Amino acid sequence: MQVVRKHHVLVRWSHWLNVPILLGLILSGLSIYWASPVYQHKPDPQTGNFDYFADIGVWICARVPGLHHYSDPPDWIYNHMSLGPGMLGAALRLHWLCAYLFMLNGLVYVTGLVIGGGWRSLLPRRTDLRDAVKMFWYYAGLPFAWLARRSWPHPHFSRKYNPLQRIAYFSVPIAGFLSVATGWAIHKPMQLYWLAALFGGYNKARIWHFWLLWLFVLFVIPHVVLVLADGWDTLRSMIVGWSAKSSNSEDVHHVD
Amino acid sequence: MSIEGDNAAVDPENAQPANAQSATETPADDVLDLKETESLTSGSSSAQQADPGQPDEVEATHAESGPDEPQLTAAAPLPSVEADGIMDEQTEQNEAGREPVEREAALVGSSPSVADEPEIVPKRTGFFQERLPERVDVAPQVLRRRTRREVLLFGAGALAALAAGGSLLPQATLNRLGVIHEKKPWPGKEWLLNRARRVDDDVAEALFSQNRLVPTYTKSQITPLKNNYNGATPDPSYIPEWHLQLRGLASGLSVSLSIRNLLTRFQMHDQITRFVCVEGWSAIAWWSGLRFDDVLRAYPPVSQARWIRVESSVNLDPWGNPDPYFVSLDIPTARQPQTLLATHFNGQPLTVDHGAPVRLLVPVKLGLKNVKAVTRITYLKEQPKDYWAERGYSCYDGI
Repeated sequence: MQVVRKHHVLVRWSHWLNVPILLGLILSGLSIYWASPVYQHKPDPQTGNFDYFADIGVWICARVPGLHHYSDPPDWIYNHMSLGPGMLGAALRLHWLCAYLFMLNGLVYVTGLVIGGGWRSLLPRRTDLRDAVKMFWYYAGLPFAWLARRSWPHPHFSRKYNPLQRIAYFSVPIAGFLSVATGWAIHKPMQLYWLAALFGGYNKARIWHFWLLWLFVLFVIPHVVLVLADGWDTLRSMIVGWSAKSSNSEDVHHVD
Repeated sequence: MSIEGDNAAVDPENAQPANAQSATETPADDVLDLKETESLTSGSSSAQQADPGQPDEVEATHAESGPDEPQLTAAAPLPSVEADGIMDEQTEQNEAGREPVEREAALVGSSPSVADEPEIVPKRTGFFQERLPERVDVAPQVLRRRTRREVLLFGAGALAALAAGGSLLPQATLNRLGVIHEKKPWPGKEWLLNRARRVDDDVAEALFSQNRLVPTYTKSQITPLKNNYNGATPDPSYIPEWHLQLRGLASGLSVSLSIRNLLTRFQMHDQITRFVCVEGWSAIAWWSGLRFDDVLRAYPPVSQARWIRVESSVNLDPWGNPDPYFVSLDIPTARQPQTLLATHFNGQPLTVDHGAPVRLLVPVKLGLKNVKAVTRITYLKEQPKDYWAERGYSCYDGI
């Protein structure tokens, strides 16, 4: 049988290493955010709270069954999505460790892309916009087709990735780069003031850095769901590097 | 090898329809692709691509297919280091199977004129053009064995990462999650995390330059600055008796300066700079004061002094009890021209909230180094203790 070499070994390694590193960055990052939330409102006259995340925690604890007796509703978000409130020093230290690992891992990833030639598959193509619409309709219609038990064929593309994948896999490394750049901008706003200025100054760079985090979250959810939906071969290709779908013309890979 | 038998049975069947398809179907494909270009150029070159065994007759008809061929043939079932189960007989099998395809391809290939070819050449050699995926012939057992091996390794790695990453979380987080019940971390954890912070401090030190000025702002850009005293704000009764002590001087003496001494003996400097807190907030504020560098010149430190301990004895904890505040500052940072002993804020003498009568203002450091109500400055050879470094923060804090 024939298999297709899909991902270079360095790409595979750095891909999986991103999981614990990004998790560490996000958990510690939100603990850092707690110390001085970017998004604040006027202090509540009763509680003195000014943090929207605390409001969300209060809202969740008031409405979600079983959480009515949660001891610290304003801390709910930070207790569940970060290392916890009130631990800035520990969070910063872990954030630096993960940040340096993230940068090193990014270099490994880029090296793997260059050596394996995989970077070519990530570049946007002229036909992407049109084909992305096709893919969008495919995903939009898939649940209904499934309910109606009608066949709903996957649009055919002769490339490694379909246009939506390519847009995602092209932008996520860029987002990673921007996360690092905005991170340096807010970490060293004096020595690297020009970098902060590039993002509109120190305060705006903080906002960039904050939203880039959510971009990763936004990417990871459909990424994981679609890989699981796509099946074992796709998941295996990121572990073993081989895909056995080479002889199956229904796949995104062309046979020839 | 028992694998060979399997491959011989499976492969020609798999490879054969695929190649036939490429020669007949691809011209209809509307996606601009390497494969498509290939078959547009000529059917026979697609046969060549699939089969490195017979390049001669193709090259006779297509002059352009010379230098770039190695890239294209990467898609062909060439033997590879990774694939343990490749057969040498493979190529022979395929050759035998492909002959009809080639004849068919030759018919298709005769139609495009020679004039069309130069247009297509750049596309097929395009540097950014996506390459065909590299295909490897492999026996099913080999794939299974390799999958099993790599997945087991992956699982072991995932478990190791879970254990290592989990144990690096702060003790308080692990306590809250119920993972551990004791406070004591394993020794390697502190070492690794402190090492990362040390690296970060070294980077900060490398970025620092004594002569580089931080950006300054205009008065219209000034933003409010809150009183961020970590504990209670001290009672202003300390101000009338306030003196600044200088120790560790080259003269061996201890000098005590009143606010009057400072204001009359040193030149005042104004600056509007950004003040950045470790918590993340910042404020643009207008400060006036004397340069730390001028004090260093007027009262030189002992030779080989590299560090400064800056203290405030009036600092209070949140309950109003005395909680002396002390930070370490490197002498190059103190010599940076924007490092002030600030006496004025927004043109007015400092209030208690902002550290009357004199505070350290060091824009190249986080706010926590900007000691309010400085009472003593000591020059040292060794790095002194630091209030926030003892509480788990960096001791350098360069920004």
